[in-house]
Amino acid sequence: MAVRPEALAGRRNPAGLPRFLNLFAIRFPIGAIASIGHRLSGACLVLAMLWLPDTLARSLRSQGDYDALLAAWRSPWMAPLEFLILWAFCYHVLAGLRHLLMDVGVGARLPAARASARLVLGLGFAIALVLLVARRWP
Amino acid sequence: MRQFTGQRAWLVQRLSALLLLCATAALGIYLLIEGPPGYPAWLAFARHPAGSTLILAVTAALCLHGWVGARDVVLDYLHRPAWRLCVLALVATALGLVFLRVLVVLAATLAHAP
Repeated sequence: MAVRPEALAGRRNPAGLPRFLNLFAIRFPIGAIASIGHRLSGACLVLAMLWLPDTLARSLRSQGDYDALLAAWRSPWMAPLEFLILWAFCYHVLAGLRHLLMDVGVGARLPAARASARLVLGLGFAIALVLLVARRWP
Repeated sequence: MRQFTGQRAWLVQRLSALLLLCATAALGIYLLIEGPPGYPAWLAFARHPAGSTLILAVTAALCLHGWVGARDVVLDYLHRPAWRLCVLALVATALGLVFLRVLVVLAATLAHAP
């Protein structure tokens, strides 16, 4: 990771290693952004899971509850939240697939890994956008 | 909780990921071809033994996968043992409750079947 000198400002611990890294002065390579995105999207999805049992219960209770659930998700006010969840889901799945492929040795070398990191970051956003628009198309 | 740490956690994470990946692909293909199911079809799916088993398996995979991921993140960013214990206990309880509630919902759906 490329660290500019000002990132190391602050006290050093006895081992001489920098402490209090200034995150805004560190240039993150694309692989690091992909990795942090994977974690961040995973955290969002764990949070979203808290609504899973209630949503399942309401979807199975009656025709009226099922319709109300779908209608609630169609409301324009839900669009930002829907996009966030779709984005987190799409990106997490793609980045996870990238990891699984690397586990079996596909694209594990640096140039390929950098290219695939770019690819999943772009593709995750694009697919989420397409899904949001497609679902809300009249 | 020992079963869900170290190398076994790694394996649980990969196996649950594969199951979730297959479920996502299957759901995606279904939605592309058929569109969203109506209420009767969805209820029939949840009442079918294979359907409810699949929902339960996916929920279990989600909870296990979420646990391993959340644990990795907590251990990397929280260093005080007391904080770690509190947050990990909170995550484990929340995910356990999610699984139990899904189990209860599915049981209720099966119990009310005609």
